[in-house]
Amino acid sequence: MARWWNRFQSKIFARARWLSERYGRRAGSFDDIPLPHLAPLRRPLRESRVAVVTAGGVHLADQPPFDMVDPEGDASYRVIPRAVNPDELRITHDYYDHAAADRDVNCVLPLDRLEELARAGEIGSVAPRHVGMMGHLSGAALGLLVDRSAAEIARLFQEDAVDLVLAVPG
Amino acid sequence: MVESVGIPTVTLSVIRSMTDATPGPRNVFLRFRLGQVFGEPGDVAQQQAVLRRALAAVEEVRETGGVIELPYRWKRERYPPPVGVAG
Repeated sequence: MARWWNRFQSKIFARARWLSERYGRRAGSFDDIPLPHLAPLRRPLRESRVAVVTAGGVHLADQPPFDMVDPEGDASYRVIPRAVNPDELRITHDYYDHAAADRDVNCVLPLDRLEELARAGEIGSVAPRHVGMMGHLSGAALGLLVDRSAAEIARLFQEDAVDLVLAVPG
Repeated sequence: MVESVGIPTVTLSVIRSMTDATPGPRNVFLRFRLGQVFGEPGDVAQQQAVLRRALAAVEEVRETGGVIELPYRWKRERYPPPVGVAG
């Protein structure tokens, strides 16, 4: 399907909640993947280091954009450093309307807001590395995400001593 | 996967049917637009409020797959003044 059609649809979906809800009901589930037991927060929130995984298609300008041609999506991910300048960020994602996030990336990757909460003492610190990926995965791409990317992302956060991860949709 | 290595995760959503079909270990749902889960561009107070409630969910959700629905009504809401803003 042409990219313009996907982008056009994303504009419609952003404005018609019932369409998104209908899409969600038809999207199927991950019933074959059992939910893990809840991992406890190891220290109080005000001492915790927080990282974000955004499915909003965010990447650095000098990183390869996400694949918008493969109908199953792109299961790869991009590492985004905490101290990134907003001018260096790009959003490549045809399946949601990112006009708002193009103006202010905090709509889908709230690094500035986390810095403020850290400064105010509500969280301990902002992790040095965050992750951009895209949602809208199916088939082999979804398998790749589950089997490979997710484990690599988990390891990255372990290396950075992250205490809490926020997963954000596009 | 991240949860399985011992790091708690909170998953935000603006589509309830998706959360019900594919929940994360802890879920926070709110009736905001796709692509603007934290709110409007440049609205620091709104974005902080959503972020604060999402973070708090790590201790509020008690069983795996649990969902907390935030009451925010987009613009028709008084958000607390922003904290930690530089300058």
